[in-house]
Amino acid sequence: MQCIITIELGTNGVRVFAFDLDGRVIGSMKGHHPTFHTEPDYSEQDPEQIFITTLYLLKNLLNEYIHPKKYKVASICFCASMHSVLAVDKNGSPLGNAITWADNRARKEAQELRASALGKSLYTATGTPIHPMSPLLKITWMRHHDQERFNLAAKFLSIKSYIIHQFTGEYKVDYSIASATGLMNIHAIGWEEDALKYAGITPDRLPDLAPIFTPAGRLKKAYQQSLNLPADTKILVGSSDGCMATLGDGVLGEGKATITIEDSGAVRVMGPRVLKDEQMRFFNYLLTENCYVSGGPTNNGGNIFEWFTRQFGDFANPYDIESSMQLLIEEAAKVPAGSDGLLFLPYLIGERAPIWNADARGAYFGLNIKHERQHFIRATIEGILYEMYSIGKILGEQRNIKSLSVNGTFGVLPFWTQMMADMFNRPVRTRQRSHSVSFGAFLLSATEMGIYKTLDEAAGTVELPDVFSPDKRHHAVYADYFGVFERLSTGLASEFEAISSLQRKHAGVQQGESIQAL
Amino acid sequence: MNQFVLQHGRSAELRLFPHIMEVGIKKNGSIQLNTFLSTATEGLRMYCILEGRFEWRIGNQTYELLPGDSALILPDVSLGSENSVLDIGAFSWIHIAVQKQDSGGLQPGNWSGLADTEGAAIGNILSMSNRPVLTRFADAGKIIKCIYTELFGQEIGYQARVNHQLDELLIQVTRQMTRQHHSGRDFPKTFLHLEEILRRNLAHQWTVEEMAALVGLGTTLFNERVKSYSGFSPINYLINIRISEAIKLLKQPEISVTDIALDTGFYSSQHFSTTFRKLTGYKPSEFRKNHLRNQ
Repeated sequence: MQCIITIELGTNGVRVFAFDLDGRVIGSMKGHHPTFHTEPDYSEQDPEQIFITTLYLLKNLLNEYIHPKKYKVASICFCASMHSVLAVDKNGSPLGNAITWADNRARKEAQELRASALGKSLYTATGTPIHPMSPLLKITWMRHHDQERFNLAAKFLSIKSYIIHQFTGEYKVDYSIASATGLMNIHAIGWEEDALKYAGITPDRLPDLAPIFTPAGRLKKAYQQSLNLPADTKILVGSSDGCMATLGDGVLGEGKATITIEDSGAVRVMGPRVLKDEQMRFFNYLLTENCYVSGGPTNNGGNIFEWFTRQFGDFANPYDIESSMQLLIEEAAKVPAGSDGLLFLPYLIGERAPIWNADARGAYFGLNIKHERQHFIRATIEGILYEMYSIGKILGEQRNIKSLSVNGTFGVLPFWTQMMADMFNRPVRTRQRSHSVSFGAFLLSATEMGIYKTLDEAAGTVELPDVFSPDKRHHAVYADYFGVFERLSTGLASEFEAISSLQRKHAGVQQGESIQAL
Repeated sequence: MNQFVLQHGRSAELRLFPHIMEVGIKKNGSIQLNTFLSTATEGLRMYCILEGRFEWRIGNQTYELLPGDSALILPDVSLGSENSVLDIGAFSWIHIAVQKQDSGGLQPGNWSGLADTEGAAIGNILSMSNRPVLTRFADAGKIIKCIYTELFGQEIGYQARVNHQLDELLIQVTRQMTRQHHSGRDFPKTFLHLEEILRRNLAHQWTVEEMAALVGLGTTLFNERVKSYSGFSPINYLINIRISEAIKLLKQPEISVTDIALDTGFYSSQHFSTTFRKLTGYKPSEFRKNHLRNQ
């Protein structure tokens, strides 16, 4: 019996899954590793700890589920968060920690480039929005502000490239992760000369570009022994978490879109054409030579509801935030759709799509004397989801979205899924017990093995059994209030700028640790 | 109660309690200059504000203390005020002699009824604390009051009771200190705080009891929360950090493997080697050789 193992290097930790060849989960494990914020704008992770966590989980997964049942591991497929940068020296030793997507140190560089003609042409060529998250800008920042590290760096890797290098000794980066660096031309499929020039680097300082199905070399001897895996175990470079969540929901094809709500969120479509946008609001990442995953990311997803819960929830047991959130959701359900006209702008950590405004801040609007505590709870959830809808709405200008799926820890909460269906006025499909990212990586591996001829065929087999149908009356209410929400999100721009600059002036940002992902 | 002070070696009341260096109440009716000199002692000092408002310098930071607040002054940390002024008000205090361990941690003496491991855990948590002020913690004042009442009353059983109360004081201060900084709402934040302390003191032989107490949880709940949040038991999570740090150090050729083992909290190079190999498949020396060969 053969099996496929997937390794997801996520924002907060590592997840490993084992699937049989029919896509059934044999076993899974997760392990946390920390993110350090040594400065308000910084967001870093320890590459060695990520590696050890991965190794530990992989070993336990194999010993618990795979070896006892004599499964043969056909392949191990990696996928990871996008936008990370890790500089390594000529020996491959990390120069400091890895910088994650949430890092904001290149804020100034991003502002300047975004406003320039070069910024516009790089956006079109690379598909990556001009934002501090982009490795293009992080490397540029390093060049100007951390010259020693910049000069010592033999290579600028992503976290995934580093982990794969530990296992096999090869420096490779797959198209999906590479296309989220702001350094790759997604049309010509190669490093983008102008971007590299802007960052001040040459292609030899980057890992080798590889299609997502590429084997990344042979597992090192010591790991073959300690993991008890044969030398011919295939290690696939794989893809990114965003692309895999989209594939794992079977979103390939016309008229389909998927919404992911974890701590942050995104709305994505997949297909042979890129989304063009004068305002540079969308990303276009590469899955294969003729397939792009496109959409818009938001900073403010489940993390905002967790914030609300920590402030205003009842904690019967210390640190039991799940129960507290559940209680709040039950209370929210007692208030009618639209929260009797209480609106919430969820921009607690600034916003990316669709408004791309790092200075945006949160607000409750429309309060009247009849509003109660429950209204605040419901308005908070509605605000987070109006924001998802607002991304979907501008996507809808270029794609005719007929069917929607939802995934992610918060997305699959039934109250939230229903609300998405009502807001979009479309049936929303979901799958309660699965992890779309890992399932996407399974489909990738299975296609590589020839079980499916193409990713299209693989995506076509995805079944999302739970369907939430829209409630027309709710939709009408949400549609009315959304107009005000949308006008506030752009109309308050000058006040956002004023309040955020005052917040910085009065030192909140210097002392605080909460405003990171602007 | 009027003001008083009992001192080790001078006051007959403390004859049976060599570990109590000083206990007393001070009531100050007018601002006094040059009376509150900055001092540091070898013992552990606890001050409880009863009335008034005080601005004290502890170590090199100034704190405002109000009635109900308490301050814990660690050995060798100075306590004083700007210009040695003593503000108007009243406070009680106690100085306790503690044993210092090689590791830098504190340990209560033989008088304590705490188990050795618990005593050491409490001592470690207190000595790692960098926040000396416990706000709205009047319990400390009540315990000190109980101690001197027993000392003056000398009723039957008072010797045991005084020592019980000293243990009680250490326990309550430790619990308050950890709870005060952990709301019970934000586990990611609490866990990150713990992680930072572990990394700063990686050579220390951590026990689960100590780690749990550091974040103000009992061990049962602590184990459960860590496992569900991190996927690992607390000890395995700690091993992950240790091995990760060891890998970093192994990549620097100038540090000896034995030093790396001890710096990262393994009790011997043998223990390090076994653990490292079990996880990575390499002996530390092989791992190093392999890495250097890649150059």
